[in-house]
Amino acid sequence: MKRRVQVVICRTCSGAADVLDVDRLLRVASDAPYVGSAVIVNYACNKKSISEIVDDAKSKEVDRLLLVPCSKKDVSPTLFQAYVKKAKMNEFLMETVDLVGEAALPHRDDPARAQAKAEAKLLAAIARTALLEPLHKITEDMRTKNVVVIGAGVAGVEAATTAANLGMHTIIIEKSEKKLKVPGVMMTKSRVISTEGHAGNYSLSIEAGEKRETLECAAVVVASGGDWSDAERRFIDAAPDSKPLYQLDRDVSEGKTPDGTVIIIDTPDPEGARTAAQDFAWEEALDCAIEIRKKSPATEVYLLFQEMRAMGLAELAYKEAAGLGVTFVRYDAKRPPEFDSEDGNRVTVLDMAQDETLSIAFDALYYASVSPNPDNIAIADALRIPMSPSGGIRRGSIQRGPVTTLRPGIFVCGSAKFPKSEGMARLEGRAAGLLAAQFAAAGEVESGGSVAEVAPEKCSACLTCVRTCPYEAPFIGVAGKAEIAIQMCQGCGMCAGICPSKAIELHHFTDEQLLTEAAVYLRGDF
Amino acid sequence: MIIAERKPLGEIAMMVAPHEKVTVIGCRSCVAICLAGGEKEVDTLVSAMKLKSMNEGRTQYFDGFVLERQCEKEWVKEVEDKILAADVVLSMSCSLGAQTIGDLYPEKIVVPGLNTAMFGVPEEQGVWSEKCLGCGDCIIHTTGGICPIARCAKSMLNGPCGGSSNGHCEVNLEIECAWYAIYERLKLQDRLDLMDTVRPPKEWSTSHSGGRRVIVREDAKLTPHQIRGKEASL
Ligand code: SF4
Ligand code: SF4
Ligand code: SF4
Ligand code: SF4
Repeated sequence: MKRRVQVVICRTCSGAADVLDVDRLLRVASDAPYVGSAVIVNYACNKKSISEIVDDAKSKEVDRLLLVPCSKKDVSPTLFQAYVKKAKMNEFLMETVDLVGEAALPHRDDPARAQAKAEAKLLAAIARTALLEPLHKITEDMRTKNVVVIGAGVAGVEAATTAANLGMHTIIIEKSEKKLKVPGVMMTKSRVISTEGHAGNYSLSIEAGEKRETLECAAVVVASGGDWSDAERRFIDAAPDSKPLYQLDRDVSEGKTPDGTVIIIDTPDPEGARTAAQDFAWEEALDCAIEIRKKSPATEVYLLFQEMRAMGLAELAYKEAAGLGVTFVRYDAKRPPEFDSEDGNRVTVLDMAQDETLSIAFDALYYASVSPNPDNIAIADALRIPMSPSGGIRRGSIQRGPVTTLRPGIFVCGSAKFPKSEGMARLEGRAAGLLAAQFAAAGEVESGGSVAEVAPEKCSACLTCVRTCPYEAPFIGVAGKAEIAIQMCQGCGMCAGICPSKAIELHHFTDEQLLTEAAVYLRGDF
Repeated sequence: MIIAERKPLGEIAMMVAPHEKVTVIGCRSCVAICLAGGEKEVDTLVSAMKLKSMNEGRTQYFDGFVLERQCEKEWVKEVEDKILAADVVLSMSCSLGAQTIGDLYPEKIVVPGLNTAMFGVPEEQGVWSEKCLGCGDCIIHTTGGICPIARCAKSMLNGPCGGSSNGHCEVNLEIECAWYAIYERLKLQDRLDLMDTVRPPKEWSTSHSGGRRVIVREDAKLTPHQIRGKEASL
């Protein structure tokens, strides 16, 4: 192996904050060991630059790339793929280092310090890149083209219909008696209790009453929804006929607008103990408020909230609603609104903006958020996928995988993540259905690469890895030593971290690579 | 297996402070499994000690090794040169390993890096519990397979003391009453009659009370002839 690194610095990103001296970075890189070529490009992420980089890589005979772009998380993987293909390079011989997020921005008031840190990080990344080893993936055929959708709510049905329309054999698992007729979709009243296998070849154990069955599938969509059950609501006594916002949404879209005074509040539990403030369906609340004010100007609308997060285009909706006379009341979570239904419905709330206590008599109350579905815990356990702190199913990166989970082949949509408006749930359902179908249609699945591997001569068969791995990838093989099922391993590194005999190494994150990187960084040179 | 726990860093530093060259030796068996003295713990300790010694202005050298089993002479001899080169050996195995090294190299100072705690089992990742005291005369066939000697704080032989409450032990409410567990187990096995069978006082001479125990298996020992043969072949 040549171990010659090509360092590509994106001027657009690295220079963006106007803190770093990009030309000096280039000199530092050029003088570093292992570096076969160091170049600056404008917009590393555009097609033209990629061909330039590839040409440079070929002429300088480098075998690996270190990209110095914007944030690591934002670099599109397709960019890498294009590069890898053209440069005929192993995809694991590539690294990125984020000098903007880690040096320029945090030290923007002290450019000298930012520059020093950036240079040290750059050298450390070069050292690490030089130590990378080419890794390979294996492919395996999928046994079925089944797509399983958990939950028959708005998002679930949309996901199932989409997958079925794309020719997948689709099964909905629904815990309630709900019956639906969706062409091409099978439905069973049951719950998932555990999963075996791995992406592309999952086998789910489902339980229907006494009966247990195994369901083979290529992909899974979690559409468990939120907790729409109206029980237990803290103020249901105070405002007995309060309803979830989606009810209002439906009425409004059917042309029925309420009369009198309408209150929309962010969460059913104003103290925020049960639902986080960010779980508010802001956009939907704004849309409803606007519709009501337009259709029946006599109806008063109040929006009670802890924090308004009208982002993107929703900001326009906020403006429009304010223009239409919707009253916004921001309250303090520690001093939640008080409800009283003795003499008609009345709410007393301290408006933080005006610092004045309002007492509003109202006719209808809608809450714009729901608790996470309590079933999420069991579902997450069964599918071995992580949850978010607010009790929803955790999704992947917002830019790259808003409907993916951290496990390949398992997707999530709608209020299973956190409360969504009906429209959004439908949209996400479609996206998740599409991705699941696409995943299943591929017919084969890749695994391996940055996974863990046991050095059998060091393993003392202590079972620590077997007990620790969240994906049940390690097992004790015939030789009485631990082995790791490549297809199951997600490369999380927990086993490598805890193995008391240091018998496990996570490829791409080996001790040597990490320690060298740290050492070079701390010393500031090789 | 044997369960041990690493001593606090300060205590270890104090034991090795007067010495310059410190050889740290771990064990891949019991203490690796209970995450106290395997390769990883040895590496971690060596790094920590280097930092501590540097911070406290001492000039010391630390080196770490791990043996398959530190309680067996043959394995220990594999690192003989490292032991002989050291001013002090810091053993990261249970005390059996530390004493094996000490007995082999009596002129060497050997200090324990771990506190040897018990014979126990891993209950779940990160939790170990004591199950046997090594009394030398096992009786668990009469107690539903649960050892009252180790699991009862008072090693009661015939049912619980008066302090058993709601399944917990009066000595520490966090631990379960062994006799409650025995009762439940015997009930499950439909052998409650064993609760009424009186166990006579135990013969404790097989335990540590009878002095240090040495077990000899004459049939397993090498004959003088075999020993001579082995020596000749060396
Ligand atoms: S944790 Fe390490 S030593 Fe223990 S079984 Fe797994 S690989 Fe082997
Ligand atoms: S890296 Fe280890 S703990 Fe993580 S999934 Fe793979 S085998 Fe399991
Ligand atoms: S020295 Fe022997 S008894 Fe002690 S931990 Fe090692 S193998 Fe176990
Ligand atoms: S009765 Fe003695 S040998 Fe048996 S488990 Fe208890 S302490 Fe150990």
